[in-house]
Order: sequence, then C-alpha cells, then structure tokens
Amino acid sequence: MNPSSSLPSLSSDVSLESSPPQGRGAAVEFRHVTVCYGSDRGGVTAAVNDLSLRVSPGEICVLVGPSGCGKTSTLRLVNRLLTPASGQVLIDNQDVASLDPVPLRRRIGYVIQQIGLFPHQTIAENVGTVPRLLKWPADRIRRRVDELLALIGLDPARVRDRYPAQLSGGERQRVGVARALAAEPPLLLMDEPFAAVDPIVRERLQDEFLRLQRALGPTVLFVTHDVDEAIKLATHVAVMRQGGRLAQYSPPAELLASPADEYVARFVGADRTLKRLTLITLGDLAWGPAPGDDGTQAAPMPAVSSAANARDALAAVLASPTREAMVVDGRGRCVGVVTLNMIAALLAAPAEAPQPPSGDPDGRGRLVRGGGAGAEGICDSE
Amino acid sequence: MTPNEPLLRWEWILDHADEIWQRLLEHVTLTVLAVGIGFALSFVAVVLIRRYHYLREPLTWLTGVLYTIPSLALFAVLVPVTGLTRVTAEIGLVSYTLLILIRSILDGLLSVPAEVRETAIGMGCTSGQLLWRVEIPLAVPVVIGGLRVATVTTIGLVTVTALIGQGGFGYFILLGMQRFFSTALIVGATLSILLAILADGLLVLAQHWTTPWTWERRRQA
Repeated sequence: MNPSSSLPSLSSDVSLESSPPQGRGAAVEFRHVTVCYGSDRGGVTAAVNDLSLRVSPGEICVLVGPSGCGKTSTLRLVNRLLTPASGQVLIDNQDVASLDPVPLRRRIGYVIQQIGLFPHQTIAENVGTVPRLLKWPADRIRRRVDELLALIGLDPARVRDRYPAQLSGGERQRVGVARALAAEPPLLLMDEPFAAVDPIVRERLQDEFLRLQRALGPTVLFVTHDVDEAIKLATHVAVMRQGGRLAQYSPPAELLASPADEYVARFVGADRTLKRLTLITLGDLAWGPAPGDDGTQAAPMPAVSSAANARDALAAVLASPTREAMVVDGRGRCVGVVTLNMIAALLAAPAEAPQPPSGDPDGRGRLVRGGGAGAEGICDSE
Repeated sequence: MTPNEPLLRWEWILDHADEIWQRLLEHVTLTVLAVGIGFALSFVAVVLIRRYHYLREPLTWLTGVLYTIPSLALFAVLVPVTGLTRVTAEIGLVSYTLLILIRSILDGLLSVPAEVRETAIGMGCTSGQLLWRVEIPLAVPVVIGGLRVATVTTIGLVTVTALIGQGGFGYFILLGMQRFFSTALIVGATLSILLAILADGLLVLAQHWTTPWTWERRRQA
C-alpha cells in the first residue's frame, strides 16, 4: 500500500525504542557539555567541562569525585535544574533543552541527600506527589502508594498517615526513594541519597536500592563521594576531577584493575585490589570440593557464607591456620572450600575477564560458577 | 472624679449591656476589617516582591514609615479628607498592620527549607504549585505568629479611633476620661484587653488546627 511505504524506517526505530534491554530504562547521553559559573571577578569557571558520557537503558551510572568536581551539576543538567553553557544532554535521543521542564521532571525521579520530604504532608501524600501532579485518579494513587511502601519495606497501615517527622532517618530516606519511583519513571537521579544515614543503615539501604532497581529497571544516575558506594552500586563509574572533567568512565572491575591515571588510582585508593574482591560473590566462584569426602575430617576451619564476597573470604582465609575456609550455603551446609591461592588467582585474572556480556543486566564482575555443585550437602558446618 | 463616685458602678454596666454589646461588635468589625484588608494587601505585596525583588527595600521602607506615624497625627491629617468615618479609621489601622504582616509572610516563605523547595521543583511542580501546595502551607506557623501580633496591636489601636467617632470599647474609655467616670474607663479598657487575649487564643488554636505536622510528632507509636 502506498501510505505505508514511508514507514519502515520509522517503525523499526520505534520497535527498538520500545524494547530496551531492561524493559523501561531511558538512555541518557551527555555530548560535550560545559557548565559555567560566573565568578566575582567577572570571569567564568567551569563546573562541568566538555563532558561526554553515555548511559545505557537500565544501567546504574555512578558519578564519583571530590566535592566541587561538578558531579551534582551534572545530575541537575538532566532534569533541567541547570542549563549547560554549551553541549547537549539527551534522554532517549531527545535534547532536554527542547522539552518543557515541568513534564520532563515528572518523568524523572529525583532524590537528594536532605531528602526534602514535605513536612506538612503525610507519607502517603508525599509518595503520591508526582502521580497527583500527573492527575492520576485518587484510587490509583492510593493503590500505588501502598504498593510502593510495601516494596520499600514499610508497613503501609503504619506509616501511611504519619508525618515525615514521625519516622526515623532510614525510613525517611526510603520514603524519599519511594516518592521518586511513584510514577514509574524510566530515569532516576540520586544525589548522595544515603550519605546522611549511619553506615549500617546505609548498607541496608544500598542493598534494598539494588534490589528495587533490578525489579523496576529504571536507568539511574547516582552521585556520591564514596568510592566504595560507587563500586558497590555501579554498572559504570564516572570518576570526575576538579574543574568538572571526566577522569575515567568504566565498569567498577575495570576501574579497580586498571585506573586510567595517577589521579584515578589515588582516588580509588591504595586498597583497590581488595575492593576488586568485593565485586566477586563467593557463590559465583569455582571453589574446591568440600573436605571429608574421603572420611577424614580436616582441621576446623572458619566458615564463610556463599553469599559473601571474595574480600570477606580472604579475611576468613587469612585467619585460618590452613589458609582455607569453608563455604556454607544459606542453610549452613558446607558446600566447598576456598583457599588463599584461589583468591590470589582471581586478582591475577585480566580486568576484562570478569566483564559480563553486554546483555547481562547485572554487569558487576561475576566469575562463571563451576564445580562445587556436586559437593553440596556432604558435610555439616556445625 | 467626684468624691462619692465608686470605682465601679455595677448597675451602670447592667444598664448599658446593650450598648456594650454594640461596642463589642464595632470593635470586632474594625479589627477584622483592618487585619483582613492588611493581610490581603500584604499578601499582594509579598507576591510582587517575590517577582520583582527590587520592590522589597522601598516597600519595607514605606511600611516602616507608616508604622512610625503617631495615630493621632495620622487621623488629624485624614479627617479633613475622609471625614469622621470608618474609612478614616481603617486607613490608619490597616497601615499599622502592613509592616508586621509583610514581614511575617516574607519570613514564613523564607522559612521553607531549601531542600523542600529543590525537590518540589525537581519533581515537576510549577511555580504556582510550589507556592500554594508547599510554601504557603509551610509558612503558616510564622504567618500566624505575625497575625497574632497584628491583631493584638490593632485591638489596642481601635480604642484610639474613638477620637474620630469610631472606636468600639474606646468609646467607653473616652467617655470615662471626659466625664471623670471611672466605671466606663475600666469597662472600656478591661474589655479591650480581654478581647485581645481572646483573639490571640483563637489564633493559637487556628495554628494548631492548620498545622498538625508541627505537633503530631509527639504522638509517636
């Protein structure tokens, strides 16, 4: 038919757009973006300097660097709280400068360190903010709010009608994340969201956040000054330096294995080798067979959970006289043995090795699990 | 005061119950009009100041000057123009509320935490939604604080307008002074003070009702 003859290229574009790898994440791209601040002497200083960066749908891009390196400015460019002096910011190939900022912001979740919950509104009203701005029907907002509160681990019946001041810091932080996710945004901007809570709560919030992100699949731009947090959360880490320049943009494992220069190496820390180990979950390792197959019970050795990372395993191994530790599964059964040599071998592996194929949404430096499976349930840990 | 005149004649008070009631209504009307009009003008002024920042200094200066004019002098100037009318009284009374009310509305809006404003804008509130849904509700405690000062001050000032034929309870005070009649003086002054205390209490209650988030925190589970 005649009318359809002009459509093929368009429709193929659409089908690509409508099925990104992660489902509903947006693609973000910075093209030679520069942000300037006027100074007292009339000159201008760059907060962000010629930044080019691509974030694929469903990825977590963590911007990390010392204060004043322009990471927050970079984030605020995306929802147009800041306008670049030059360059473009694109969301799903659309220049944000061409979009009306108000509807744009309603499609982008935004979480900041001070959370900024509305103190005069109940938790339910806070979480329902963007759906209300989008004029969702009241009962749909209500259902969505309860669903989100349950998702972040808060009992809707308990917290729905409370005010932010009645919640603990960690709970408020969760509500801030829930509020940002309320209208199912394809993109989430998070500016040091967990910096104000204590380390134990922070770690739990980080774990919950990773779980939520995997379940809901938005693309995330995340700002922090904490390298460990960046390595834990990121699919890609953007290390920035003073003057708003990008020093390195790589997956965490690569960043730790081969820092681009002296600055990045210093920034990620002298213990970057140990940090690399945190990226490897013990459960994904090819560990040795469990002891006791031949009936000889080996000397008592420390146990590590298969859910622990290789750094925890290293600590256990070093504490063991035999330089070995027992790997136990969730039910406390011994499933294998990890040795010092095995951990050392992990670090000898080239940086590219732990990288997953591009289709792997997890992209967090896994090794392929092998062996060990046959040893399950052979011995008890206690 | 005549030698045999008692400090307080209860029978005079009972005889004049109707008039006291009328004066109460007059006093309340003058006060409500003054604070209401003053609040409306102040609100408009604040909206203008937020849009055109350069207006802040001249408007603050102007309301400051108005506040310093002695009320007697102001009425003396106004009477030849507007006569011995309620309009004359209200021009004076409203003028005196502006300094307090503009100041408290501005302070109230400034008291909204920066991060709250930041997230409201970041989530896609328009500037109108930011003002009406976030900034104004959060400004309520400070604004009501200003309203309390303005109301109590106005209730006191209303008595002065007795000199231009208005005045509510001020009428009794004036009567008492002119005739050396202590009962009227005491009735006028006491009722004016009681009215101020009552109005202040009502505003405290209003603040309580409109800002549950400021006290619900004590009811933690």
